Amino acid sequence: MKRRPKWLRHWKTRLLLLLAVIGPGFITANVDNDAGGITTYSQAGAQFGYSLLWTMIPVTLALIVVQEMASRMGAVTGKGLSDLIREEFGFRITFFMMLGILLTNFGNVLAEFSGIALSLELFGIPKYASVPVCAVIVWLLVVKGQYKSVEKVFLVASFVYFTYIVAGLLAHPAWKEAARATINPPRLSSFDNRDYLYMVLGVVGTTIAPWMQFYLQSSVVEKGVTKKTYAASRLDVVIGCIFTDLVAWFIIVACAATLFVHGHRDIQTAADAAQALRPLAGDYAYVFFAFGLFNASLFAASILPLSTAFTVCEGLGFESGVDKKFGEAKAFYWLYTVLIAVGAGLTLWPDFPLLKVTIASQVVNGAVLPFVLIFMLLLVNKPELMGDNTNTRLFDIVAWVTAGVLILLTAGYLWTLFT
Amino acid sequence: MGILSAVALLALSELLGAPVQDSSGASRGRVREVALCPQEDPVRVASFIVRTRSGDRLLASASVELLDHHGLRAATEAAAWPAFYGSTEGLLLLERDLLDQQIIDVHGRKVVRVNDVDFLEEQVDHHVQLKVGEVDVGMRGAIRRLLKGIVPRAALNALVAKLPPRTIPWEFVDLIETDPARRVKLKIAHERLARLHPADIADIVEELAPAEREAVFETLDEEVAAEALAEVDPKLQVSIVESLDSERAADIVEEMNPDAAADLLADLPKETTEEILDEMAPAEREEVAELLGFEEDTAAGRMTTDYLALPPHATVAEAIEHLRHFEGDVESLSSIFLINGQDKLVGTVPLARLVLAKPETRLSTLQSEPLLSCNAGANEKEVSALFDKYNLVTLPVVDDQGRLTGVITADDVISLLRAKL
Repeated sequence: MKRRPKWLRHWKTRLLLLLAVIGPGFITANVDNDAGGITTYSQAGAQFGYSLLWTMIPVTLALIVVQEMASRMGAVTGKGLSDLIREEFGFRITFFMMLGILLTNFGNVLAEFSGIALSLELFGIPKYASVPVCAVIVWLLVVKGQYKSVEKVFLVASFVYFTYIVAGLLAHPAWKEAARATINPPRLSSFDNRDYLYMVLGVVGTTIAPWMQFYLQSSVVEKGVTKKTYAASRLDVVIGCIFTDLVAWFIIVACAATLFVHGHRDIQTAADAAQALRPLAGDYAYVFFAFGLFNASLFAASILPLSTAFTVCEGLGFESGVDKKFGEAKAFYWLYTVLIAVGAGLTLWPDFPLLKVTIASQVVNGAVLPFVLIFMLLLVNKPELMGDNTNTRLFDIVAWVTAGVLILLTAGYLWTLFT
Repeated sequence: MGILSAVALLALSELLGAPVQDSSGASRGRVREVALCPQEDPVRVASFIVRTRSGDRLLASASVELLDHHGLRAATEAAAWPAFYGSTEGLLLLERDLLDQQIIDVHGRKVVRVNDVDFLEEQVDHHVQLKVGEVDVGMRGAIRRLLKGIVPRAALNALVAKLPPRTIPWEFVDLIETDPARRVKLKIAHERLARLHPADIADIVEELAPAEREAVFETLDEEVAAEALAEVDPKLQVSIVESLDSERAADIVEEMNPDAAADLLADLPKETTEEILDEMAPAEREEVAELLGFEEDTAAGRMTTDYLALPPHATVAEAIEHLRHFEGDVESLSSIFLINGQDKLVGTVPLARLVLAKPETRLSTLQSEPLLSCNAGANEKEVSALFDKYNLVTLPVVDDQGRLTGVITADDVISLLRAKL
């Protein structure tokens, strides 16, 4: 009749605590490897072989720094990023920020649905079947499901990224060379190559996206993480970021070991990469790569519209939340529905310029990111918000350098787009 | 006696940045803030903070003689306005403390964000008095603030006038202040909030950030706080109780039903539970501590010890007398239980039968048949099956010797079933 022994309860609560907390950071970091991400990493490997692997370590550090700030703010203030921007910087700034986020994210949603179309075409399913079905599944997942079960689905989906690691193993890369390229800094002369610089920018840009910070902070809040339980959340973020970039590393390696080595250096999409892998690395690598792309696209297509609806409604003061009924949070559900319907609908449009829209969305993405980072840094250093949880000096330096480098890279990226 | 006349509405966003003239008619600066002094008057604007070339100055509301969309004119010389050094003690600054912040709409029972504040103008003697009329939480305020300074004022006003207003009267606004010292100075109490149904308070509290939740629970009356806390999501319950100091937490937990209190304490870290138990009154502590000893997913883990048990030979009159002195939650009381000298359960009398019977009737003649009870170790499935089969409202729980140890009420079973849906 007694409750379970103390040690068991203690052990159980600790495990539950870890399981309860692991999630937001892991999910967010993984959604980062979406259709756009996989395309970029594949191209990086196909075009430049192992020579871009050095980017992975600094990019991972930057990602950890930025995401740690977002989740810390969520845990300490209990408020989402758009809430905080609204409270501290006023309505007008928030409005334009939300407009930027809406545009960027819509572009990304389009990219995810085209990812779904392309990946399932590799299995012989026409896009006119796959896209509408997936759009409906994605929509139902949130509207008819409960947030908790939705998050579990996402968490399980995160592990499907292991397929890329398997695909990488099946490609039989030159491990020593890959390892050396990862830890050796690049020769300065390689930056003279404009395409190389462009690809470095692409890798950084696709890894740290503005919407992720909003999504992560909101999920940390939704999850009920507090100052006290934050340590586990930090671990979640770090593990998530490392796993994500490990997957990215394997994608680059897989493409470098096959496509680059065999001179197959010009691919347009991640689906091209999968197709080209087939004769070089075998049917299994092809299947794993294609399935990974499908999973990534579906996963991101589920999260992006949701995150967008949350962010925009929070910032502008509309009611939001998947635990609310349609009638209680109309703006939230409509925004969510329209993003999916229009995103999927345009993908099906026969002559829709998907590639142009994707690039345009990345321009907006790049233009919004520095603002988000600066706002985050200003907020995280406000003692009246964060108490004694503001950035330490070392962290501040790393974060400002990250923001500075990102701004320079973004400016450079925009420059290359317009010249 | 002054001539009182209410003029058109004026919005805070129009007032901020408006030019200020002194008595000489020269422009001296612009409005930076609008301040209320809630200790003196919770509705009327007390002063304006004016940004001038020689620093910020405080212009008392009583020295403003003219005020409209074009700006303010003071009846005094600019030199007479005291300098403002940034001490805002006791002042509610509308731009800083209200605009874009979250408030509780007590009437609509939800948390909303402030887009703008609408004032009512009154002409009192020779000066203009501004009163906070309502808080704008709709498109009107949003569009006004978005387009201010971009679109000409006349066009903007015409556009805004076409939008449907969504406002909350100032008397239904509940401010959330997380700093306890400031809360007292600003006279922020949650009196109106406290009058809502506990379940509604719980819903509102769930929308807030942890610090704000804590602020609300610190000021609510203990009884209200206890009822609201019982309705809050269990995960949040834990974080709220952990954020309160143990004395305050104990006061609230004491007011909760023993079963709800035990469920809550079981989820807390061991040290916190002990601290809270130490602070509790002995009688309540014993009850809760006893319940804490049971497995959560058994009948005993679900039961409350708040019940009324009498010997079978007691009369209806005696029973009603006991009810008058019953200290537990009357709402969950729907039956009286009959126990013999060894505390064994021998009968159940529904309150309705008690009410209908004559005062001298013996309780033993009013028992329901058959006598239903479950064992303390019964699992949730068995318990809910009994409730379903016999359409129960309460079910007594007995130990292995048949002694009454507690009662399960239907609301607990419903929560349980809903949690599994």
